Amino acid sequence: MIFGPIGTTMRARRGMLREWRLQALSVFSLAVAFVCLGAALLVVSNLNALEERWAHAGRASIYLKDTATQDDVEAFRGALAKVPGVTQVKYVSSGQARAEFGAEEVPVHPELAALPVEAFPASIEIEVRPDLPDVELQAIVAKVHQLPAVDDVETYRAWTDRLASLVRGGVAASMLLALVVLAAVLAVVGSTIRLALQRRSTEVEVLRLVGATDAFVKGPFLIEGSAQGAMGAIGALGLLAALFAIVRMRMDGELWSLIGVEPSFLPWQMALSMVVLGALLGAVAALLGLRKLVAV
Amino acid sequence: MFEDVYKSYRPGAPVLRGMNLVIERGEFVFVTGASGSGKSTLLRMLYRAETVDQGRILFMGRDVARLTSESVPFLRRNLGVVFQDFKLVKPWSVYENVAITLEVLGLPSRLIRARVGEALDRVGLQGRGEDPAGVLSGGEQQRVAIARALVGEPALLLADEPTGNLDPQLALDILGLFEEINDSGTTVFFATHDRSLLDVRPRRLIVLDEGKAVDVRGGVSPPFRAEYASLPH
Repeated sequence: MIFGPIGTTMRARRGMLREWRLQALSVFSLAVAFVCLGAALLVVSNLNALEERWAHAGRASIYLKDTATQDDVEAFRGALAKVPGVTQVKYVSSGQARAEFGAEEVPVHPELAALPVEAFPASIEIEVRPDLPDVELQAIVAKVHQLPAVDDVETYRAWTDRLASLVRGGVAASMLLALVVLAAVLAVVGSTIRLALQRRSTEVEVLRLVGATDAFVKGPFLIEGSAQGAMGAIGALGLLAALFAIVRMRMDGELWSLIGVEPSFLPWQMALSMVVLGALLGAVAALLGLRKLVAV
Repeated sequence: MFEDVYKSYRPGAPVLRGMNLVIERGEFVFVTGASGSGKSTLLRMLYRAETVDQGRILFMGRDVARLTSESVPFLRRNLGVVFQDFKLVKPWSVYENVAITLEVLGLPSRLIRARVGEALDRVGLQGRGEDPAGVLSGGEQQRVAIARALVGEPALLLADEPTGNLDPQLALDILGLFEEINDSGTTVFFATHDRSLLDVRPRRLIVLDEGKAVDVRGGVSPPFRAEYASLPH
């Protein structure tokens, strides 16, 4: 049976093979457009992972006033250890904080060696369950803040907020790029289909003359447009994967352990969505390109 | 059957004006007339590439002029059309050019192969199925076009100047082919302005003159030659 989905696909394949140069040029142009979108999505997905990781970092630093006594500290530690969700409580004295800072920063910035020990307040570092909701952590922080021995509490939320803002910016940029890709796909596939129609006008005319329906005539062109969009997206993913592998090989592994997140390639769902989007856009572009199909 | 058919492309300059014509099933009819007399228009209206301005064209009991655009493909599946410029898809093989008529119908590929083989035999192109259509001679290309037109076993075969691009001997061969097809029961409507073809075959002749059809039942064979000669050419 030549008519039907298999026959249409066979005719589309035949058309694509005969016009392979035109198809290759179109797929390449689409791949370039999709690389931009894919790169933006890659950055956003990694920033999002970083934000998630930091949002659930599950730690807070409680800075104590200079007037806090050892008894205050011990009572405070005991009370914190009993709070549901808190998994670890650790006291860091001024001297320890000064020593840690000196070990990390002074070799790089020797001028900081002169900082007095008073510049480093004593603190209690707490760790909470990673799955503890942010609301509950904030409730603990609010209660701790009211205690007389506490000077300040740092939950690193400001960093998370900044990252969230960055992610939102990235998402907006990705949306914009998606629009650019949409326009590129419509223009490239539409032009390719129109050109293919022009080159195959006799074929279309013959099909009309022998009694082909609209679906029979348009079917292969729709499949061609769809295939171009999908192949453009797949080409872009391949190119991005190669670039990602090169960048990852050249980056210092310690950087990733420092920020706590390993960079990852686009999730398969997102990659698949890109391919499906490419196929759909290609089909729509082809449909628009076929509006002026020769009427006999 | 054409009933009082009017067609014009420009206001005030009708190509057909109230044309009436009846063609019986199984007939072989020549249509002739000066350039611009409406021969091609007549054929194009039959396969609904043109619409009529007024009147009716009845084919197989239906008014072609009133068909919806969705019905036109089904009309064309009952017609075969052959053109002066062959209208073959050059990059396709001979087989593909003929088989497309049956692919459109959704026939099984085994049946398509058998029927295309028979059609190529009938036009004298047996064993040439794999050849690209673009490399064939003019006469061979026209044979492929005829095979494409007849493979679907149409009720009516329309030929629009099918010998216009061929030398006289080839033109006669092609005409012979149409006659063989007609002998098997297919109605043939053959538009030509080639006087030599009309001279050698005593067939019914329709002369288009001033937008109307003048019927010369015996063609330009001796008893009717005077009638034909009196018509403007």
